[in-house]
Amino acid sequence: MRALAILLLTGVLAPAPAPVAGAIRGRVDVRVGPGGPEMRPDPGSLSMSASRDPQDRRRSVVYLETAPQPAFEVNEQRRGRMDQRDERFAPHVLAIVAGTWVDFPNDDRTYHNVFSLSKTKEFNLGRYAAGHSKAVRFERPGVVRVFCEIHSHMSGFILVFAHRYFAVTDDEGRYRLEGVPPGTYTVTVWNETIKGDPPKRTVTIGAAGGEADADFTIR
Amino acid sequence: MNTAHWLAWCLLGQLIPAGPVELAHGTVTVGGEATITASSHDNIAFFNFTDYEHNALRMFRISVTGMWRPSARFAFVTELRSENAERMIPYALYARVRPWKTRPFDIQAGRIPPVFGAFGRRSYGADNPLIGYPLAYQYLTSLRPDAIPATADDLLFMRARGWRATYPVGVLTPAPGVPLVSAYRWDTGVEAHAEGRGLDVAGAITAGTLSNPRVGDDNGGRQLSGRIAVKPAIGLVLGVSAARGAFLTRALSDSYSPLNDGRDFTQTAIGFDAEYSRDYWIVRGEAIRSRWTLPAIAAPRIDGPLSADAAFVETRYRFTPRLYAAGRVDRLTFSKVEGARFFGGAPTSWDAPVTRLETGGGIYLQRNLTLRAIVQRDWRDGGRERTKTYVSGQLSYWF
Repeated sequence: MRALAILLLTGVLAPAPAPVAGAIRGRVDVRVGPGGPEMRPDPGSLSMSASRDPQDRRRSVVYLETAPQPAFEVNEQRRGRMDQRDERFAPHVLAIVAGTWVDFPNDDRTYHNVFSLSKTKEFNLGRYAAGHSKAVRFERPGVVRVFCEIHSHMSGFILVFAHRYFAVTDDEGRYRLEGVPPGTYTVTVWNETIKGDPPKRTVTIGAAGGEADADFTIR
Repeated sequence: MNTAHWLAWCLLGQLIPAGPVELAHGTVTVGGEATITASSHDNIAFFNFTDYEHNALRMFRISVTGMWRPSARFAFVTELRSENAERMIPYALYARVRPWKTRPFDIQAGRIPPVFGAFGRRSYGADNPLIGYPLAYQYLTSLRPDAIPATADDLLFMRARGWRATYPVGVLTPAPGVPLVSAYRWDTGVEAHAEGRGLDVAGAITAGTLSNPRVGDDNGGRQLSGRIAVKPAIGLVLGVSAARGAFLTRALSDSYSPLNDGRDFTQTAIGFDAEYSRDYWIVRGEAIRSRWTLPAIAAPRIDGPLSADAAFVETRYRFTPRLYAAGRVDRLTFSKVEGARFFGGAPTSWDAPVTRLETGGGIYLQRNLTLRAIVQRDWRDGGRERTKTYVSGQLSYWF
């Protein structure tokens, strides 16, 4: 009994070997064409609207569905940025940690009025001119769809996470989640074109760290 | 909200589009708007009746907009409307051309948006913070293009009866009069528009007039209209408009022009519009003076043109992302004529002046789904019912 107690104590109190963090990487293949500019026909207009390139909908956000406890302990003040340029939000998809302030600078020549009616965060910044910026703090995790009240074709997405294990895919759809502690995780992908349940993969980071792959295809 | 309601709401959300529908590789874009407006009956005062004999506060309206843009410099644009589930009418149907790729100069031909003023080009469901229309764009005066008073007394007898005017000359059957500027029909013709360096210029040649837009010409006369707008600061637009066109039908003008020194019977209008927006505020206003020239037929004669002045100021303030309040104050007055049988022969305005105050607000249930409620109070210096208060609610959806 005494030996068992010593064993348990030493097991608890002995310094555990530092876990070796790994990485999860992969590619999200979005096989959905670019979306339209979402500009409504405006019969009341006296002029031709500017031609715009279709919205690139290939950007996805890959994230861990559940994350290790330390990942939730984000104390530093973070800031993000979503520009309003050429009557578009740039970037179209922004991923942030809860508690992040996001600046919305107006880099256009006209008024913009950023707002959202999302359950995660409702806000309305009002109309402000070029060269001005307003900021919003996103406290709760979730998806926030952002619009401009004046230009109905402008829309953007802000994904707010409770942890730091997420990544926005690059131009080729690649992503990499760094510093993932050993363990088994469910990796999920978000894309604006996904209508039903998002695709998921289960990956394991071994005790020695290393890299795990998880590829996705979105049709 | 119980489960059944919640499921129905979700199903509706899946079925109705949240944005414009694109077809043919994005060259065709289809949008739409639906508004259902409820209010109490109005079978006496007719303050909100339109030239289609519908009550603007009791209406179910659907509109479908479409644009086919085969190239960056060419487009076909249309809007089909149905009021109270009646047949769809082409409200707009025109071709738009940009002759030079790099110059902001456009030509539109067909059933085109008006260049006069500002309200007439706005999308009703998405851009009207209230439910009612400004008096200048909706209220039916007692004038008609196809029937005219022979005397000043004939005209005075029709004071405040614009919803169903009748005169002894021309078409004898009762019919609605015309507003100063019709917001329910667009005119047919050609217009050009150019913009740059804070200046916006537009001009049009059309078949009808502001009061009586037409598809087919019924008098051989053309209307010339134009607007110049400046944008001295971001958020501020100041515009001045003018229009002049043949008003009476050919049958009436041919009959009475020789008896009136070959005079043309026209509608002439001048308007000023302004809009300023900042932060959570939008303030808009317009002032319009319209003059109609009618034949002088018999004593007591209608000497000189009949004029009407209308002005309104409206504002909207968004308190929260979902909630806003709005108000509009509106006034419509008329020039005076002298009759013999009415008002003791004293100079009297040819139609009854109207004042309207409309206040209300809205809730954005979704970005494109708005619930509005208003209280409208009208005062009129004539008619069977001189004051009336309306309470109206509206559900408006667009995509």
